[in-house]
Amino acid sequence: MVLGPWHILVELWNLLTPLTLLYVGASTFIGIVIGMLPGLTATMGVALLTGLTFGFPPKDAIIILICVYVGAIYGGSRSAILLNIPGTPANAATCLDGFPMAQRGEAGPAIGLATTSSFLGTVFGLLCLAFFTPLLGRIALQFQSWEFFWLAIFGIVVCGNLTAPTDPLKGWIAGFVGLLVSQVGQEGIAAYPRFAFGIDQMRGGFALIPVLVGVYGIAEVLGVMRETAVPHVMTQIRKILPRWRDLWQYRRTILRSGVIGVIIGAIPGVGEDVAAWVSYDFAKRGSTKPDEFGKGSREGLIAAETGNNACIGGAVIPVLSLAVPGSAPAAVLLGAMWLHGVRPGPLLMVEFPKYIWEVTAMFILASLAMLILGLSLVRTLVKVLMVPRPILMPIVFVLCVIGSFAIGVRIFDIWVMLAFGLLGYPMRKYNYPAAPLVLGVILGDMADVNFRRALIRTAGDPTPFFTRPISLILVAVTVFTVLARSARFRQALAAGTARLKAAVSRT
Amino acid sequence: MEYGFRRQDFYTGLMLCAVSLGIVAECWRMPRDLQGWPAYASPGVVTGLLGLGLFGMGLALALRSVRRPGTPLAITGTDVRTYLADVGTRRLALMLGISVLYCLLLGRNIPYWVTTGGYLLAVMCVFRAGPWWQVVLVSAVTTAAVTYVFNRVFAIPLP
Repeated sequence: MVLGPWHILVELWNLLTPLTLLYVGASTFIGIVIGMLPGLTATMGVALLTGLTFGFPPKDAIIILICVYVGAIYGGSRSAILLNIPGTPANAATCLDGFPMAQRGEAGPAIGLATTSSFLGTVFGLLCLAFFTPLLGRIALQFQSWEFFWLAIFGIVVCGNLTAPTDPLKGWIAGFVGLLVSQVGQEGIAAYPRFAFGIDQMRGGFALIPVLVGVYGIAEVLGVMRETAVPHVMTQIRKILPRWRDLWQYRRTILRSGVIGVIIGAIPGVGEDVAAWVSYDFAKRGSTKPDEFGKGSREGLIAAETGNNACIGGAVIPVLSLAVPGSAPAAVLLGAMWLHGVRPGPLLMVEFPKYIWEVTAMFILASLAMLILGLSLVRTLVKVLMVPRPILMPIVFVLCVIGSFAIGVRIFDIWVMLAFGLLGYPMRKYNYPAAPLVLGVILGDMADVNFRRALIRTAGDPTPFFTRPISLILVAVTVFTVLARSARFRQALAAGTARLKAAVSRT
Repeated sequence: MEYGFRRQDFYTGLMLCAVSLGIVAECWRMPRDLQGWPAYASPGVVTGLLGLGLFGMGLALALRSVRRPGTPLAITGTDVRTYLADVGTRRLALMLGISVLYCLLLGRNIPYWVTTGGYLLAVMCVFRAGPWWQVVLVSAVTTAAVTYVFNRVFAIPLP
């Protein structure tokens, strides 16, 4: 732990080769472009590039994906500021103050502030990643089958709750559908083919990348092509570099948003959009000028962009320590690591002790590239926003097809992608979040195998599921998360708290 | 206040109930003494429990939509005609139709660049992406670039 910074510097030095730097620059640029184009999300970008870089050496492939991830989460702020349309869901909160700033002729400073606060957020997130992953990894070594089962259920429940705040039932439904999707194919104990219906290709189950590309990519292509409206782009951009005075003035907001982003990132499946909204909400509550929020507040813009980018580091912490993704793009990153022979999880610190430092060094390069490209290619990137959607979307569809096909070289995967696109489109339209579905697909096998293995170990006795300390905590939080959404429970809790306060004041 | 997705929720709930009951039935049919493992370790245990959970949630969704005020639950002929006449629906059907056709043609004995070039040209023409020469140029350049970059430079097999 003490030697952490030294290890990071060593890994950073190892990465400083001309080819790696070329990959970093190009993939961060691609990420920014993907992020800034409404309709192309960070998850879709990372999923697409996973397929396209399948043949690359593992280190190059992972650094490319990390750069796309960081670039895309930042890039979405560009269209949020210039079009009032968030490029990715993570930038929805950025629209509230970014677009009003652009409307009053401050598009340049808004972009500058968004870029620097995204950079600061990412750096804060990766520092937490480097510090907390080994700690969480040590705790994770205590996890056994009982805890892993509850961790999967906890992830789905919390993710469904937070990604569908107005209607958590839809979030939980999406999560359960994801868990059931993961049950297709040979199971992990006796290799019995479930729901294969005699189709050979179904025996292997659904590959993660076609499912992700379908839910995020194809659903988005269909949604965008359905619309007829053409967005108007603000093209007058002058001063871009931010005033350091602004950043210093809002240092507390940056720090608070960074902490919120990392914490929310570390919660399974929740992701950058929730981090941005919560950071924004906390910034507004803590601000001396809350009335300016939503009317072009610099503080609001900084909070949203710091929060969503800090979430990236936070989301990778459970990926590396528990093999549980903190966000949808992190889920793809986890899948990509598996594809390239890295096994994240509790044993990572034992099998690949330097991998955490390597990933941290990759994030440092990605955030530096994001800062440089974000502040220098402003006018070039604005032109990308002007590409008509009927030109862009079929090209995206073609790339989705290649991305899904490349990993397994099976036409079947293209049909899987299309089928999940057809599932993802109505889900999006009727407010079912996609993130719990993706998390379910990732965690389903973990839940299944560990539940049965735990019962085998205790000869069918389920008691340890509720008596082991970590299991008990996970059960309590899961049950509380579900009950807390019930109005009756909240009323009963409020009444109980009031009675307790009254009793305390009497004594 | 009226709830916008009343009808959709109702039918989704019913559909989820039907699908989850099918899952539970399929799990019940799975072997319960596979390779000597006890019944509680059989392949259908967790899947069946998940199916039951989804059934409960589907039922809750359907019942909740019945209780909420909003659009009538019954679908009339007028509703179907309005939906089909909507410009957005037509655009969606067109995009989906061309894309499915493209996927059907992939992996057959047609060169990749022919199917992909044809697909791009078709979508851009149908959705009036620009003047004809621009559409042809963009389709040709994109197809050539995709084929060259992925197949030759990155050595990725193309369908």
